[in-house]
Amino acid sequence: MPGIFVFSEESALAKQLLTPALELKQSLFQPVTALSLTETDAKQLAALGADKAVALQSAAEWVEGLSEEIAGLVSAAGASVFLVGGTLRGKHIAAYVAAKLNAGMSTDAKSVKLEGGKLLATRLLYAGLALCDEELSLPAVVTIPPRTFLAPNTAAQQGAVETVNAAADGRVAISDVTQADVSAVDIAAATKLVSVGRGFQKKEDLKLAEDLAAALNGEVACSRPVAEEEHWLPVARYVGISGHMVKPDLYLAVGISGQVQHMVGARESKVIVAVNNDEHAPIFENADYGIVGDLYEVLPLLTEAMKKNGGR
Amino acid sequence: MPKCLVCYKWALDEKDIKIKSEDVSLDVTRAKGKISDFDRNAIEEATLLVEQQGGALDALTYGTSAVNQSLKDVLSRGPDSAYFIADKSAEKADAYVTANVLAAAIRKLGFYDLILCGEGSSDSFNQQTAVRVAALLGLPCVSYVLKLSVENGTVKATRGLGVSTEVATVKGPVVLSVLGQINHPRIPSLKQVLGAAKKPKTEIKIADLGLTPDQLQPREVYRSVKGFVTHRKQIAFKEANTAANVAKLVSSLAAEGLQ
Repeated sequence: MPGIFVFSEESALAKQLLTPALELKQSLFQPVTALSLTETDAKQLAALGADKAVALQSAAEWVEGLSEEIAGLVSAAGASVFLVGGTLRGKHIAAYVAAKLNAGMSTDAKSVKLEGGKLLATRLLYAGLALCDEELSLPAVVTIPPRTFLAPNTAAQQGAVETVNAAADGRVAISDVTQADVSAVDIAAATKLVSVGRGFQKKEDLKLAEDLAAALNGEVACSRPVAEEEHWLPVARYVGISGHMVKPDLYLAVGISGQVQHMVGARESKVIVAVNNDEHAPIFENADYGIVGDLYEVLPLLTEAMKKNGGR
Repeated sequence: MPKCLVCYKWALDEKDIKIKSEDVSLDVTRAKGKISDFDRNAIEEATLLVEQQGGALDALTYGTSAVNQSLKDVLSRGPDSAYFIADKSAEKADAYVTANVLAAAIRKLGFYDLILCGEGSSDSFNQQTAVRVAALLGLPCVSYVLKLSVENGTVKATRGLGVSTEVATVKGPVVLSVLGQINHPRIPSLKQVLGAAKKPKTEIKIADLGLTPDQLQPREVYRSVKGFVTHRKQIAFKEANTAANVAKLVSSLAAEGLQ
């Protein structure tokens, strides 16, 4: 029996995937099957509207090692659509399944719908310079980034829950897994962000941005080079095409030139402010307000002013 | 001594793509080609490995006739020889077609201990090629690598998964995709550029790959591509007096309800 399959190794994201899956169900008239890693998740997904939830029971710790097993389940069901949570692990699994199904795959789709027997997805191209509508023949695989959709409400009817044993790819051994830094802030959840770029001369100077963020009750974010080249801030704080996509009320970019690879991660912010000493930096075209000036002069003054206002 | 292959894409440089104001379509007439950013990291990593351990490094690309322009560039970055598939089908190729072509070419070329790709291309950033090629060749794949070492045919690769890392250990042959963090690609020296001219460049005809028409039929078709246009107020305060600029910004933010 064909169907719509969803999978994410992250519980919250798996629930979010049910929203587009249930929408597609309206036009495809096919049941929704949610794959998960635990029975707890499976029960929750069944309660949220999955017609069937399957817990993959495996001794393996490496989720990607289940790719073949997942491809087998999706393929055996003759699924039309496979929606996968767009984490890096999820994209790995999705690409594997797509290869096995001889299917197309849309990476990081912002929306999906069915039209004329094709799956229509919207996504970014050229690091965010362009938006593209693409159509995929069925079966199709789609990865959807976290927080693209809200999780659905509890469904009227609870789906069936079952457990299957899943074999893992034994060729790859995984060790030294670092857990996500629990002290790491979720910059995507902050309503105000002070984002720092290469305009800062040294790591110690980031204190200026931290002070401003504190005065605003916000968080500090950064551009890719600050995280990946200078290593001044953890990668978890980096905004851009391969980092976080954020949409705070206020995005204050300091010493950031405003290349498209960065802006794509911030352009859905409500208000964008730029501080940069180069009047011709592209950031000013991408900002609502800007100060052309030396960040070392601007930031202390701005922090003082914000403190007076109480950072509301 | 590992025998390595690096796959790369010759992509339009997005820096030179303009958005036409009349219909927000893309103007690519001034855009030049470049070796896709993260593929340069893959080339560099494979080159470093072969410089340290010996072995051999080939480069492989699939694209339109424009890939001819990439050969000297890629060979100046380290690979010993370049193989290329220049075919019109690449114009509309999706990751499915691309992986079918690359995997078929790799089968033809023979055995490699390590096959490296960039995490994703700078144009479509599908992040699929390495995993798909591995799946088609029946090889293990370690994606999103930020640190790599190879010892006696055993590959140890640290994966960067955003908030966490892990070490994958696998016996070759293996397909790897690398992150931009893994290294800083070299800027080829004049000697390397001149040396590149003497290195072998071999064309592989797509007709010789034994692919069926279905394997060259894209599953993913662009219906429309539009430049992303932002509508921002673009108010810049640029007086000589910084304090005055700050005061104006503060009152603007207050008017936005942000202060």
